[in-house]
Amino acid sequence: MSTSTTTAGTDGRPAAAGSRRRSRRGAAEARAGVLLALPFVLLFAVFTAWPVLQSMFMSFTDMRISDIRTPFAVDFVGLENYRTAFADPVFRRAALNTGVFVLLGVPLTITAGLAAALALNTGVGRLRAVYRVGFYSPVITSIVAVAVVWRFLLQPGTGLVNTVLGWVGIDGPHWLGDQRTALLSLVVMAVWRNFGTSMIIFLAGLQAVDPGLHEAAALDGAGRWRRFVSITLPSIRPTMLFVLVTTSIGYLQFFEEPFVMTNGGPLNATVSASMYTYNQFGFGNYGVAGAMAYLTFLVIGLVTLVQFRLMREK
Amino acid sequence: MSSFARPTRRTVTGLGAAAALGLLAACGRPDETESGPAAPAEPIAEGAATGSLTVWAMGAEGEKLPELLKGFQEQNPDVTVEVTPVPWDSAHDKFTSAIAAGTAPDVAQVGSTWMAEFVGLNALESTPEEVATDDYFPGALESVTVDGTVYGVPWYVETRVVYYRKDLAEKAGITEPPTDWEGLVALAQALQEKADAEWGISLQPGGTGSWQSVMPLIWSNGGNVVDEASTEFTFESGQNEEALAYYQSYFTDGLADPAPADGTTEQDFVSGRVPMFISGPWMMSAVESVGGEGFAGKYGVFTMPVKETSSSFLGGANLGVFQGTKNRDAAWKLVQYLSTPEVQVEWFGMSTDLPALQQGWEDETVASNEKFEVFRAQLDTALAPPVVATWEQVAASFDAQIEKVCKDDLAPADALAATQSEAQGIGTGA
Amino acid sequence: MLERRNPILTNIVLLGFLLLVITPFLWMVLGSLKTQGELLRVPPTWLPEEPTLGNFRRLFDRPFAKFFSNSAIVAIVVTAGNLLLSSMFGYALAHLRFPFKKLLFVLVLGCLMIPGLVTFIPQYVLVVNLGLADTLPALILPFLVQPFSVFLMRQFFLGLPRELLEAGRIDGVGEIAIFFRIYLPLAGPAFATLGILTFLGSWNNFLWPLVVSSSESTYTLPVALALISTGQNQTDYGLLLAGATLIVLPILVVFLFFQRYFIQGIAATGIK
Repeated sequence: MSTSTTTAGTDGRPAAAGSRRRSRRGAAEARAGVLLALPFVLLFAVFTAWPVLQSMFMSFTDMRISDIRTPFAVDFVGLENYRTAFADPVFRRAALNTGVFVLLGVPLTITAGLAAALALNTGVGRLRAVYRVGFYSPVITSIVAVAVVWRFLLQPGTGLVNTVLGWVGIDGPHWLGDQRTALLSLVVMAVWRNFGTSMIIFLAGLQAVDPGLHEAAALDGAGRWRRFVSITLPSIRPTMLFVLVTTSIGYLQFFEEPFVMTNGGPLNATVSASMYTYNQFGFGNYGVAGAMAYLTFLVIGLVTLVQFRLMREK
Repeated sequence: MSSFARPTRRTVTGLGAAAALGLLAACGRPDETESGPAAPAEPIAEGAATGSLTVWAMGAEGEKLPELLKGFQEQNPDVTVEVTPVPWDSAHDKFTSAIAAGTAPDVAQVGSTWMAEFVGLNALESTPEEVATDDYFPGALESVTVDGTVYGVPWYVETRVVYYRKDLAEKAGITEPPTDWEGLVALAQALQEKADAEWGISLQPGGTGSWQSVMPLIWSNGGNVVDEASTEFTFESGQNEEALAYYQSYFTDGLADPAPADGTTEQDFVSGRVPMFISGPWMMSAVESVGGEGFAGKYGVFTMPVKETSSSFLGGANLGVFQGTKNRDAAWKLVQYLSTPEVQVEWFGMSTDLPALQQGWEDETVASNEKFEVFRAQLDTALAPPVVATWEQVAASFDAQIEKVCKDDLAPADALAATQSEAQGIGTGA
Repeated sequence: MLERRNPILTNIVLLGFLLLVITPFLWMVLGSLKTQGELLRVPPTWLPEEPTLGNFRRLFDRPFAKFFSNSAIVAIVVTAGNLLLSSMFGYALAHLRFPFKKLLFVLVLGCLMIPGLVTFIPQYVLVVNLGLADTLPALILPFLVQPFSVFLMRQFFLGLPRELLEAGRIDGVGEIAIFFRIYLPLAGPAFATLGILTFLGSWNNFLWPLVVSSSESTYTLPVALALISTGQNQTDYGLLLAGATLIVLPILVVFLFFQRYFIQGIAATGIK
């Protein structure tokens, strides 16, 4: 409901209130801004903000699946659900796994995506389109098929990965069945699945790099690495921020990989915060599940804030 | 951009507080909750069914059901039935969302572990007297009974028996299938030592659904995990501990792989790498399709080995009529139709789902295969999973403890104590 | 981009990498031509021994055209809606001053961070209360507005020079017309990116359509695929891989089509 207040407030009125010392152009600019924002904001208020508010309310109550027809006939329990979440050893393990996944996965994904984009942006000739489609193919492949294929590839005795390792005399482990390698396998799989997305965003961003600057720097004798650091990187900073933030947010919510590959096992080695939250929903513990989701949200918010600060926009 | 942090905190807290305050006044549980025993169901009207019905059924059942229902539509020309197939994977989510929003179908296939939960949600109608329930396998009937009231009917059943490579067992010097717990261990050892098997038997070392492998042993040893009335959990008991220790011994003695590959049971069975496993009737066609012609003669099945009894797991699915149906009479008539022995046999022919009615097994087509006779024998003593609304969650925590027992050498007693305390924390949802 | 590295060396490295990346993809396509028996064989085979179209044939026993058109309608409307709505809002956030701008941006970004699972049930109840259950609009409306899209378009418009706006004002172009006539035509590359991502997200969306659709007339491809490939106890791998291959094809086509617009790039549109 507070959201609808916001929307109503945006609707025209503040233009008058805010026009204290603004010129007529300022008013016109504000009107245009409001009009351009309005369609999105209205739909957003109904289909996202309102459900979000409801779910936030849920996380402070003892709501269970059996209350769903009478969602307000529940008891307010304060922070009890949050305490339950913190006290749950599996949830703590899930948080740890998620942290490891993010710390390994995000840099790898961004580096791979940027490297691929840079390589494609130099002269690779006719094969450029082939690479682009090839590198993007993991992104477009349905997770259902990805799961089947990767399980075959990672099979302990006869899988392709261990067969290849066998050629060079390495006895490959049971990738998904061993506590030490399971999470690592999922990180590799996630990087494989997602670097194509950051690649195409970087490709679009690289278009904004002024070739003139490069030429001038090259004339001044700057090496390739030097030009990358002092020209390319600064030029793609908005893109970099975008990729960093969205990849981190995505990875902090990582869910599909363990869901289809390991179901969180072996011995909770791959259970993620989102997956465990999903399980709590499945069990009908809406209050606790909501609390866990908002804890994840808090972490995501903090991480995003730090990233914005570190890569501050002008 | 740096200033954008400030409004966030203020606004978000503000929004949250406003929402909480606004709703606080309106919330709180009503004092009166329990409604006592369910009222007896209304009788079904006489005559042919009319109107329209929506039916949800999962996976292959959903695909094949329209064909089966042609007979129903011939008998009741004024009824239209629309069948929606629902993928198994996320069927539970779909049902609970639909129940929440009041958009559940008239009739649906209901997973046997969901019954208590759905009844707790007031989603299912209790079964009227006109629907006979006396011919079902006892375990199957138990799975539709919640607090002494019957909701819906069992539709089809399945149970688990031991599959083994007859040819390899003979090679290892064992010609008769074992009948007791020691015998099963001996067979697994013999297969491993004398028939070149890498592992004696395939057992699930924890993970989702492993409770289905352990429960038969617990039952066979006279144990259980809930009391008679399904109101208290009883994980900690001598019988349960002994059963879980027996299960663990297969892993500690190197007879079963503690980290098996995914989905290779059929191939490993055919290649002889792992020549024994415990599973349901669907595995017959699976191993025969991998093994090719003549493989059917190379393997056999036998009932669960006896400790005190031979108890197996009874699975399958039930049929339920949902509360709020606008066409209740026709819905129950449809359930009645599907619960006749002839239709159950016809359904077996289409889907190989085993009839839940004992009469269904008297038919030639069902009884013709000697392996089916083993399943038939096992069904008499097979037990349904505990009818507890929170069972899925309790089972998940049991699965996690079983995994520690099989892979981490956790003492069975400790595992059961941990499960018991978690289960008590979760409660029975009653 | 200027002095050429040795393209042959780059190409060799890239080709090796490419092979690594598309191995699972190739395996999927090849697997769709195998029988269930061969798929389950140990050790696995690479090339199908007796290639068969049987999996595809079994797939087309079902009303596949209906599932396909449902998926296509939903994905196209969702993509078009996202491009329009979020470029409008994203532009306003990037270049215009208007009341509650920062608050709105923070709220939208905040919702990007909330795990989608939490809002699932409230959203579902909302859609049912609006009378939209089991309709295509129910699959479209909640996805027309996505925080991710706004964020992307805002970042993109931030990268375009503000001078265009000033110049437009001096020429007396109206504020809204500046967006539609000056900035929007330059959004090609961002549209290509966002278009692909949104289309993809919609095309592969599974859980929401599964729950919202309750009849085959509104099922989308992923729901249908999940339906036919997984039984209670057994997976029909051949059918699954065939279905997955068919689901990927339209996306490949869309991607091939859009990437032409990539190549044009901002530089080609002459704003530098």
